[in-house]
Amino acid sequence: MDSVFFYRNPNPDASGNGPLGHLSIATQPNISIAGWPAEAGSHALAGYTALEDASVAARLRKKGANLCGATRMSEFGFGLKNSLAAQAVQKGDANAELVLDLAGECRLAALHEGLCGYKPSYGLVSRYGLIGLIPSMEACGIIARDCKTIRDILEAVAGPDEYDFSVPEDAPVSFSTQGIDPEKISLGVIEEARSALSDEDRVIFDARTQTLKKAGFTIKTLPFPDFSLFSLVHRIVGSVEASSCLGRYDSVRYGKRVPGAKNWNEMYLQSRGAAFGPLLKSYLFQGAYFQFEQFSGYEDACRIRARLLSEMEQLTTQADFLILPAVNSASIHAPNTTESLDDTYAKVFHTAFTNVTGQPAFYLPFEGNKGVQLAGPRLSDARLLALGEHIQNMQQRGQ
Amino acid sequence: MEFEAVIGLEIHVELNCATKLFCDCPNRPGDEPNLNTCPTCLWFPGAMPRTSREAVQKASLLCLGLGAELQPVSAFDQKVYYYPDLPKGYQLSQAHLPLARGGGMDIIDEEGRPKSLRIHHIHMEEDVAKLVHEMEGRTPISLVDFNRAGSPLVEIVTEPDFRSPHDAMEFLKALRTQVRYVGSSECSMENGTMRVDANISVRPKGTNLMNTKVEVKNMNSVRHVGDAIAFEISRQSACAQSGEAIVLHTRLWDPDKKVTVAMRAKFEGPCVPDPSVPSIVLTPQAIEQMRAQLPEMPAARAQRLVTEHGLSGEEAVYLSTDPDVAGYFEALTGHGVLPRTAMHWLTTQLIPAVRERRQELAKTKVTPARFAALLQMLARDEINANAAREVLSHLFDSDETPESIVGAKGYKQVSDPGALDKLIDKVLAEQQAAVADLKSGQGKAMGFLIGQVMQASNSKANPKMIRDLMAKKLA
Ligand SMILES: [Zn+2]
Repeated sequence: MDSVFFYRNPNPDASGNGPLGHLSIATQPNISIAGWPAEAGSHALAGYTALEDASVAARLRKKGANLCGATRMSEFGFGLKNSLAAQAVQKGDANAELVLDLAGECRLAALHEGLCGYKPSYGLVSRYGLIGLIPSMEACGIIARDCKTIRDILEAVAGPDEYDFSVPEDAPVSFSTQGIDPEKISLGVIEEARSALSDEDRVIFDARTQTLKKAGFTIKTLPFPDFSLFSLVHRIVGSVEASSCLGRYDSVRYGKRVPGAKNWNEMYLQSRGAAFGPLLKSYLFQGAYFQFEQFSGYEDACRIRARLLSEMEQLTTQADFLILPAVNSASIHAPNTTESLDDTYAKVFHTAFTNVTGQPAFYLPFEGNKGVQLAGPRLSDARLLALGEHIQNMQQRGQ
Repeated sequence: MEFEAVIGLEIHVELNCATKLFCDCPNRPGDEPNLNTCPTCLWFPGAMPRTSREAVQKASLLCLGLGAELQPVSAFDQKVYYYPDLPKGYQLSQAHLPLARGGGMDIIDEEGRPKSLRIHHIHMEEDVAKLVHEMEGRTPISLVDFNRAGSPLVEIVTEPDFRSPHDAMEFLKALRTQVRYVGSSECSMENGTMRVDANISVRPKGTNLMNTKVEVKNMNSVRHVGDAIAFEISRQSACAQSGEAIVLHTRLWDPDKKVTVAMRAKFEGPCVPDPSVPSIVLTPQAIEQMRAQLPEMPAARAQRLVTEHGLSGEEAVYLSTDPDVAGYFEALTGHGVLPRTAMHWLTTQLIPAVRERRQELAKTKVTPARFAALLQMLARDEINANAAREVLSHLFDSDETPESIVGAKGYKQVSDPGALDKLIDKVLAEQQAAVADLKSGQGKAMGFLIGQVMQASNSKANPKMIRDLMAKKLA
């Protein structure tokens, strides 16, 4: 069995200083840390060493955290094939782990290990130094055993960054402890997300909402007839962005160059052909198809995305937070070896919507992997995590 | 059948910003290869573009200077194409939401009538790397220089309003003047800070057909643009005459052979919005502030030079075409030089001298203050015009004041009547024949005699005083 770690920091940072001095944090090799290999799980980046620290890494170090190493990951973080995310935290090798969430990967990796997995609001955390794939959807997620640790880490990494202009300069970041009074909080259940579950899963999910109802929360059922369009829009827009983004991996300055090409054009074609694995390749082919053959399909997807976004904004005015299933359990038991695009998107059916809208969401464990997903309006991260802490405290008290 | 051409231009202008468009690297493409690079402009994984405020400012001023309307929201797209000069596989360009729309230039057409040529839109984009092709022994190799990668560009796309090489050349000259005025670029085709592609098609005269166009590139002067268009019109007209179909393609201008040659097209894909580059949002207030920063434009300046300094319309337009020239002129008058003197010495002496030395007016050692001091000495009759020209050439090579050069080199004009009297008497005694000519009414003998006195004074005498004194003596 391979080690969970793809790379271990040979010079662990001195701990004990700063508010995060007690934390040992793992990353994945698509988060740049100067001098560490940053291959992002792909031959396209074979042998590439990061030149600079990603802003998230620099901020964690500044607050005293020890960056202990990078764990094995799926190719460019897309899907969870070959990913060993969350295992370092599970095994106690790290207190937390940073995992990019492109369609729900961070949340689902946490689910596998029965941990908390958090995807922040889009634009709350700098993407500088993250080797991404779907720039309009991905966010640097955090996996930990409890919401308090996630809150401390998010507080350290969130906010404007002079290196990432896509983080709004005035993004409000206040993570002070917030009291949660269940009597004053409503949780919306998206009916179409619930009804997409198997009977067995639905029974478990309904038991969760019942528990929260008993704890005093108001549970509301909210309709979202087009919920299934989220993963479709994600699939089209995501593949086009991925196709555009990965154009830069040309095997010239790093990565594997296929020998024997007669000219540069052949070298690009052959090397790119050899660089990417089958799942990513099919994603890129799909993206290239929309880019070059069916651009109007991509434009339609962008328009639908805008509509879904405003419908979701409307929905989040009807409840304080949303409560949803995280996954259809049948999809995660599919064999991991021959994962196709369809398999990948079946797994993220319940999570990808927050990547499309940019709202924050996290997986909160109940009995390990039988937990729920909680989501809030964009930039409601502090309150959403406070809600998570409240529910975790409830669980500890055995309520 | 008679044909007419339908021509549109795509003009790339490199902004003279201190940094590149999306990083803090110096915007100096000419430096030692790959000196001005960083992870962002080398497009290393994880790097993110950060739009330069200065570039947006300079691009916006350029748009206003060309009469275009700045858009409230503009945004960058990833324009996909694969070529070794673009290793990230896409160029950041404003494909869907350009910075400005509309605008244009007024020119005088070949028949002397005013003509308006419209701009369709103006967008910002980053430049790509430069490929240098060399031989390594017998193997041809291509080297990539990233100094230019990420340099800030604007692209001005015109309407197909042009009908002749003349239209295109006049438009480019007018555009260059406007852009130099707002200070956003040097706009030099020779130095590559302005690059022009022309889209040309022909149609039977009098019809409204829009036929297949051919794009022509690689012209590196305004004249070449005219030549290339003229060649392409006659080539396409001949094709049309003989019934040969025109296919959409790109041709390169060969300035030596004076022909256009078909080139292989680059593979170009569509454009995807880039979420990592925030949209440029310009509020009405921001646009007004920008407009307030616009300098006085050439037409207004020429008008003012006429009313304030009494120049002729033609002189004023000539000076105003280049903001450096107009600025120099006004600096001279600001130092008290009379407008006529300033105009004359600037255009007939200083500008040719600067050009001869391959310098720039704005950067030459002969500052307006030094040149004005020289012209003041001339006005006070302390030196004569010959000496002034000599001193001017010394001003280029030394930091000394005109006064000290005049003193050190003995250029001071001889205006002492006693000294001049002696010289004149000597010349009159030696040149009996000329004196006789003059007395018999041959006026040009006077010039000859004055010249002789000047020579005798080593060019230091005051020619006006010689004339007066001589006239008295011979009266
Ligand atoms: Zn740079």
